[in-house]
Amino acid sequence: MIQIFHVTKHYDRRPALTDVNLQIEKGEFVLLMGPSGAGKTTLLKLLYCATSLDEGQILIQGRNVVRLKSSDVPYLRRTMGVVFQDFKLLSKKSVYENVALPLLVQGLSTFETRRKVMEALKAVGVEHRKESRPTMLSAGEQQRVCIARSIVNSPIILLADEPTGNMDASLAREIVDLFKTINARGTTVLVATHNRQVIEQVGRRVITLDQGKVVSDEGRGL
Amino acid sequence: MRRLIHFVREAVANIRLNRTTTIIAVATTAFTLACFGVFLLLYLNLRAVATSLQGDFKVVVYVKDGLPPSGVSELQGLLKADPGVQALVYVSKEQALADFRAQFPDESHLLQGLGENPLPASFIVTLAPSHRSPDTVRRAAERFKSEPGVDQVQYSRDWIDNLATVVGYLELAAVGIGTVLSAASVTIIASTIRLTLYARRDEIEIMRLIGATGGFIKIPYLIEGAMLGAMGSAVSLVMLKGGFELFSARLGMPGRFLGIDSGFHFFSGQVAVLIMGAGLLLGFIGSAVSVLDLGRAKS
Repeated sequence: MIQIFHVTKHYDRRPALTDVNLQIEKGEFVLLMGPSGAGKTTLLKLLYCATSLDEGQILIQGRNVVRLKSSDVPYLRRTMGVVFQDFKLLSKKSVYENVALPLLVQGLSTFETRRKVMEALKAVGVEHRKESRPTMLSAGEQQRVCIARSIVNSPIILLADEPTGNMDASLAREIVDLFKTINARGTTVLVATHNRQVIEQVGRRVITLDQGKVVSDEGRGL
Repeated sequence: MRRLIHFVREAVANIRLNRTTTIIAVATTAFTLACFGVFLLLYLNLRAVATSLQGDFKVVVYVKDGLPPSGVSELQGLLKADPGVQALVYVSKEQALADFRAQFPDESHLLQGLGENPLPASFIVTLAPSHRSPDTVRRAAERFKSEPGVDQVQYSRDWIDNLATVVGYLELAAVGIGTVLSAASVTIIASTIRLTLYARRDEIEIMRLIGATGGFIKIPYLIEGAMLGAMGSAVSLVMLKGGFELFSARLGMPGRFLGIDSGFHFFSGQVAVLIMGAGLLLGFIGSAVSVLDLGRAKS
């Protein structure tokens, strides 16, 4: 599903990732561990083409991301769901409109959009806040809306960057359960976190990064 | 269809959200287009006057005194056959005298002492529109002069030609001024859209990240630019109409101006629509200039 070969990335000559090699199979639930500045966010950004790499190759579903034309990037992104650390919700739009955005971009019918959005909102438990603006929601609710938006178009890959940051333990548990449910439906999930509780709760493959290098890859398996 | 509604809704929302910038952009575009409009109004009216005067333009072919009726008929046939002639009216000596008396009743005594009617018979020739340029008129006059039975050929179109030259210069100036003011409008709208893009840069980034194509992101801004341009041109038309009415009332010219039959007229519906279309197009171009680099998915 995801193949990463000798990937190196620098920010102003400072290495963010150095010679990273990874393979993630279809349907896997992988946790990306490491302290701040380890390169977790950079790796995720490379996967959804938000930044370019300096060396190496990345293949997603057999497509080489490096060779992808700018005009093809949106179509690759549509196969993915991304949960951002800072949520990235549109503050002037309602929860419903935010979640509907990926479907609008793909040109789905109003009826189909409504069905899928309500399904996603129900899955994350915020359907009662569909008319609210994101700024009126708590951090936990905003995170759920962000997750709803990331799963609304039934992505093949779900990438999440510190999805439980700034959350209490019980809320974090709920979010992780949600990812497990999504993974159980066949979606490949890659979560970047430094939360030990999340790692224990998931109990799957954990890749540890430190100073831009893979230092361990534990419990690999489906 | 759903996408189109989304695009238009987004454009309208942008306009409503950035009210101050929108008002400034529309007002500046309106003033810029109004400046051009004043010039265009003057040019179109002068052109209409020149065309109308050129349309009335006649060449008088005087017939030699004593030419028998058969000669007159022959000359009439020759003139009619000329490709430059659109219409032809024969004015006999008697008719010429009657016309003179009708036009100058106070001076009719001048002819009394001469005994015989001194006025010659003539043909009043109306030239075809394609033969009204100074060169073709001169050539036509030379041709008429060489026909048998023709005494003289008269035409006086110097001042009409001068007016046509002025209109020609105005046309050139209109193109120059139009280009400069169009560039100004494009720059104003481009700056407005750039401000909007800056204010919404986070939103644009989010749209990119969820898989929106460049086109999907750009189209609402292009529509917004076109709307600003159209609004600017509509306001400029209102300003021009107001100014025109005031100008007309002050000079007291309900239908005639300085003795010219056609009078001064405001833009026809067709020209007004064209001005609106031009405003819309300028707005679209201004916006396109700003969103050119937008929507590139790869960083």
